[in-house]
Amino acid sequence: MGTETIEVTGHIVDSLLLAKILDSILEAGCDYEIVEFRIGKTNLDTSQARIEVSGGDEVLGPLLDALQIHGANRVAHTDARLVPAEVDGVLPPGFYSTTNLATEVRVDGQWLTVDNPEMDCALVVLDGRARTAPMHRVRAGDAVVVGSDGVRVRAPAHARDTQVFEFMASEVSSEKPKALLVAKVAERLRAARERGGKVLAVCGPAVVHTGGAPDLARLVTAGWVDVLFAGNGFATHDIEASVLGTSLGVSVAEGVPTEGGHANHIRVINEIRRHGSIAAAVDAGFVSGGVMHACVRAGVPFVLGGSIRDDGPLPDVITDAVAAADALREHVPGVEVALMLASTLHAIATGNCLPAWVETFCVDINQAVVTKLADRGSHQALGIVTDVGPFVRQLADHLLGAA
Amino acid sequence: VSDLLAWGRRYLMCPPQHFGVLYEINPWMNREVSVDPDEARAQWDGLVGTLRDAGAEVVIMPPRAEVPDLVFTANAGLVNGGQFVPSHFRHPERRPETSINAAWFAARGWHVDHLPDELDHEGAGDALPFTPEAGQTVLLSGYSFRSDASAATELSTLLRCAVRPVQLVDPRLYHVDLTFCPLDRRRAIVAPLGWDDYGRKVVEALVPEPLVLSDDEALGFCANSVVVGTTVVMPTVPPRVGRQLERWGFTVAECRVDEFLKAGGGCRCLTLALDVVLSPEAPPAPVPTAP
Repeated sequence: MGTETIEVTGHIVDSLLLAKILDSILEAGCDYEIVEFRIGKTNLDTSQARIEVSGGDEVLGPLLDALQIHGANRVAHTDARLVPAEVDGVLPPGFYSTTNLATEVRVDGQWLTVDNPEMDCALVVLDGRARTAPMHRVRAGDAVVVGSDGVRVRAPAHARDTQVFEFMASEVSSEKPKALLVAKVAERLRAARERGGKVLAVCGPAVVHTGGAPDLARLVTAGWVDVLFAGNGFATHDIEASVLGTSLGVSVAEGVPTEGGHANHIRVINEIRRHGSIAAAVDAGFVSGGVMHACVRAGVPFVLGGSIRDDGPLPDVITDAVAAADALREHVPGVEVALMLASTLHAIATGNCLPAWVETFCVDINQAVVTKLADRGSHQALGIVTDVGPFVRQLADHLLGAA
Repeated sequence: VSDLLAWGRRYLMCPPQHFGVLYEINPWMNREVSVDPDEARAQWDGLVGTLRDAGAEVVIMPPRAEVPDLVFTANAGLVNGGQFVPSHFRHPERRPETSINAAWFAARGWHVDHLPDELDHEGAGDALPFTPEAGQTVLLSGYSFRSDASAATELSTLLRCAVRPVQLVDPRLYHVDLTFCPLDRRRAIVAPLGWDDYGRKVVEALVPEPLVLSDDEALGFCANSVVVGTTVVMPTVPPRVGRQLERWGFTVAECRVDEFLKAGGGCRCLTLALDVVLSPEAPPAPVPTAP
């Protein structure tokens, strides 16, 4: 996919030239956005339109050549303006704020592809490479892109398998056939794995509450999850379920509260803290099942991000929110599919760090979570409104056969 | 006839002393077809006579041996009162005409403005004015085969006039003057064959009462006619077209120019109206002097 800006001036409205140009763009299978439009006030005044055209590289070039016949010319690009940051963690005024789309920066006449697209960051150019940098990571002297000249973003490719997902589009609905959706998600995971892409699971405690932990553990053990993000709650209840058979004091098998169960999770946290880490507790045999156990055994990296309401927390939890987000970022490169499983806080945090091309499935019983994710810029997220436990079971059954 | 055209009483023409099909730059041209110079001269004289009979003045430009197509004065450029914008030709064969035309007009008191070098536009061959009853003059400008769409924008600035570019799509109708002939302030002869859908809509919106040519009529160069008041001088007059024009109150004069059709030019191509005013801000036309 590429994006180019064209400009056309003249009596382009009355002559239907603009209509013709826009129609030609769509007919070529490309897309456009009118970024600027100045309409002449009188009959004599000319109008001017600046149009961003995006489309596949193989059609974009010929299309732009064809549009030149109608007087639409490519806008000459200039280099990006680079301004050194004056202070650590502070960006120069007017800094270019990134999107999560594939982005290119023009430096010395060359378009550099930004290494790690992430929204709401700055662009830093160093030694002929461009990368995104969250504000706090910028150091004094870093060359930061200011303004939008010499920056272009490539339009998101629509879902790779548009036919499959066309019917769900970005709509969130509880009215979709779930079994079919699960099968399609399984297909996407297989496809990602074949391409060598990583699968990321972001888990909320409801995965455990709804009985999905054993199935998620199966997926981890079988290599279907390459990295896991969660919070203190998910890890705690997963371990609680494995060690004591309860989740938040409620028997996972029986579904009834157990006596003194309200303290189960805090006692488990205490024991893990005694061992020093989840891995140590697994090695010592204290934790012998569940998702965290599977991660340790399978060598799947996990990042546990803390929050202000956490009990304990577990020793593995990163309580510095900025450090936790940075830890997430370390694992983002290579991720091609993200499963957001009944998680709001961590799903949004993760969504913030993911490039727009990562296929993101947001599974939640609450429609609002999916909407929230999209509203915060992760427009690529496809929502599946369902109970997460059964979803994970069906997904595991699809990929691994019934347990 | 509704309000007559405000222009078309004074024409620039160039005798076909050196005319011939010496190169091929449109589908009508074929170097193997020879032009009969005597017949060409006779037809050209016939056109001059017909125009004068209709009440027009004809100004003669001296021919030049190195530029056989100078005879097609419609392509000299655009006249706007006392302003002249010489054509920039797409084909190298015709480029030497630009300086000859610019010099001719400058010597006779016209103010000459130039298009940017990189833009092609072939003058009145690719731009004809239509002035609706209520409204300002619109220059309908063709593009693709000989002129650039972007030239329309430059022209609108230079001439202070609305210019509507329409895309020409049939290589046989390579100039807009083969597809469009303003008759008065309501009517025009139009050849939709030459335009794409957008161009057709533009003309539809501009001309309240078009005389729509069939494809055959269009390819017979019917639209390449010269209008002098109520007289329409046409290279061929299909009976249907003639009857319609007469119903509207025009007198139709058939003026055969077959020798010039061999080069892809008809009556209009052989003439350039010198009394066109496109903008109220145009400088006044120079007082005519002897050629």
